[in-house]
Amino acid sequence: MKKKYLAMVTVLVLILSIGLTGCGSSKSSKSLNGQEITFMIPEWGVPSKEMLDEFNKETGVKVTVETVSWDDIHDKVSVAGAGKKSPADVIEVDWSWVGEFTSAGWLSPVTLTQDDIKDMPSISSFTVGDKIYGIPYANDFRIGYYNTDIYQNAGLKEPNTWDDVTAQMKTIKDKGLMKYPFTLPLTAGEGTTTSLLWLTYLRDGKVFNDDNTLNKENVMKSLNFINSAVKGGLINPANASVKDVDAYRQLSNGEAAFMVGPTSYVGKVNDAANSKVVGKVQPIIPPGATGKASQTMALVEGIGVTAYSQHKEAAEAFVKWYTSKTMQTKMYDAQQAIPTRTAVLSDLINNGKIKNSGAMLETSKLIKSPFPTGVPKYYTEMSSAIFNAVNKMALGQITPEQAFDEMNTKITALAKGSK
Amino acid sequence: MKQDGKLAYGFLLPASIIILGTVFYPIVKTFIYSLQRYKLTQPENKKFIGFQNYIEIFKSQDFQYAFFNTIIIMAVVIFIGFIFSIITAVILNSKIKISSLLTAAAVIPWALPPVVNGIVWKFIFYSDFGFMNKILFKLSLIQEPVKWLDGRYGTLLIIGLTVAWRVIPFCAVVFLANMQSIPKEIYEAAEVDGANEIKKFFNITMPLLMPSAAIVLTNLTMSGINVFDEIVALVGFRNLGQPLLIYNYTQTFSYMNFGYGSAVTYIIMIASGFFGYFYIRSLNKGGGAV
Repeated sequence: MKKKYLAMVTVLVLILSIGLTGCGSSKSSKSLNGQEITFMIPEWGVPSKEMLDEFNKETGVKVTVETVSWDDIHDKVSVAGAGKKSPADVIEVDWSWVGEFTSAGWLSPVTLTQDDIKDMPSISSFTVGDKIYGIPYANDFRIGYYNTDIYQNAGLKEPNTWDDVTAQMKTIKDKGLMKYPFTLPLTAGEGTTTSLLWLTYLRDGKVFNDDNTLNKENVMKSLNFINSAVKGGLINPANASVKDVDAYRQLSNGEAAFMVGPTSYVGKVNDAANSKVVGKVQPIIPPGATGKASQTMALVEGIGVTAYSQHKEAAEAFVKWYTSKTMQTKMYDAQQAIPTRTAVLSDLINNGKIKNSGAMLETSKLIKSPFPTGVPKYYTEMSSAIFNAVNKMALGQITPEQAFDEMNTKITALAKGSK
Repeated sequence: MKQDGKLAYGFLLPASIIILGTVFYPIVKTFIYSLQRYKLTQPENKKFIGFQNYIEIFKSQDFQYAFFNTIIIMAVVIFIGFIFSIITAVILNSKIKISSLLTAAAVIPWALPPVVNGIVWKFIFYSDFGFMNKILFKLSLIQEPVKWLDGRYGTLLIIGLTVAWRVIPFCAVVFLANMQSIPKEIYEAAEVDGANEIKKFFNITMPLLMPSAAIVLTNLTMSGINVFDEIVALVGFRNLGQPLLIYNYTQTFSYMNFGYGSAVTYIIMIASGFFGYFYIRSLNKGGGAV
């Protein structure tokens, strides 16, 4: 009797536990199953229908993609956010928008494992305090490039410091090998702001003081460097008028011998259809103050869950899926989006999918954020102050000291006003 | 009669509703925004602050800089636009075989979209080797390219020139229509009295052009104040040489500062209205009607 009783209780407990587990799992899959979310993204981040069907099969969540230009997304999110609504459940979040959007309360934090966080160094751009408000999906960090042919003809080796860069550019110019051997965006636009930021950060590791004001000593070094390069004819004066993409294109056009620029040029310099320097440009770790740089800056794009989304759980599941290892590999194949996961980048380089990577993988591990307390909410105004001052200096309208004073006055006021 | 009155109001109602909704409501709403601290990215800070935005604007060095830039552009547009409109109208008024062809050619700048206009002039005055620098270089007038758009006043002059080039056709047509309405008998009488072409022009044509001068000056002034597309095409949104509309756009749509931007909009609106009223009033007093 006792044995029978024990057997019956055991079977009953087993049935109950299986039933409860089944209920639990069906409850979690049912909570996402059948939900529909919207995903607002520029054209270069649009997943294919097959990818979305795969996600739907895995989670039961249907995703509708709205392709919107990068500029318009910022405006749409701002206008909708002001009305306490969201234009989509998941949106593109550029690194420069993080401060604005988080201070306005328009983004919902997402949770990631420590392994994922370590695998994505550029996650620091989306971290405010101890919360993560977006996950980067398309990498873009600053890496050095030099034209091996020109350097060889000039009897030079790759630069280690920014003093090396100055001396080498002068040598190349004096030998008549290139009229303007160095290129850097100097127009009144965002590219000029990021140029000043990365130039200072790569060399000195500190752009801003702890109170978010500019570090005068380091920023002045960068301003003097740029001013000397322009006045010395090492940079094309037209860079003060052309778009930043045109400034960077001078490398692949064979009109510049050295630059620190976007990771996309790892592929572009070897694109036979558009490059005149195929096989002649080597990606390197950018120079620093006394040796190679020990940090670099990322200008990444991410995606995040909007605070007013009615399907936050489903949206977060999508965000994690979209930035998973598998998806990042697929997005590279489909859109040539440089992955933000170090593991994926390493695989793509080792498999030969990313050719001529040079020091790309090593440099990707140096990504850190130059903002001590995260991207500030007044980034747009700060950027405007910086690029206008640098542009005026490049046009010869003001001195480096005046340029610093001009931007510092505005940035200090913005930093104080934001407290 | 009462039924007719009601019917008339009934017909006017749809148009009135549309005008109220699309014209007056935005005007009133913009004014309300201008009295608030209202930044889209700081919704928690939105509050009524009275005329504080206006006070900040008038104290702002950036606004003062943009204001004077606008005055300079306006002056250039008026000066070049007025003179060349009259010259163009005189040429088109002359009875030559290719008058109609010249008229068609003269209208081309008016037909071009402002952005295209700006891009064309950017190619001409490009700092490196734009069209103007190439011509001057070939004529050995310069050894190095002139940086036309690298300075504040050079930029303002070229913006003024670009805008004037676009509005001259319309102004010339206005003057032409006025010229063609001047009775020939007046010129014949002047000829009998021994007046030459120059005297006829200054003593007959110019005074009788005053009614259309009001329209032309108003148009030139508004064009000088409202220039936007040409500037973006020429130099983008940079601070150097930035006039009021670019300043307004940056504040409102780049910085999302709707309260401040709305106040700037109102100041521009009032300034435009002031210039228009001043012109028409002074010309009515001095010129009189034909």
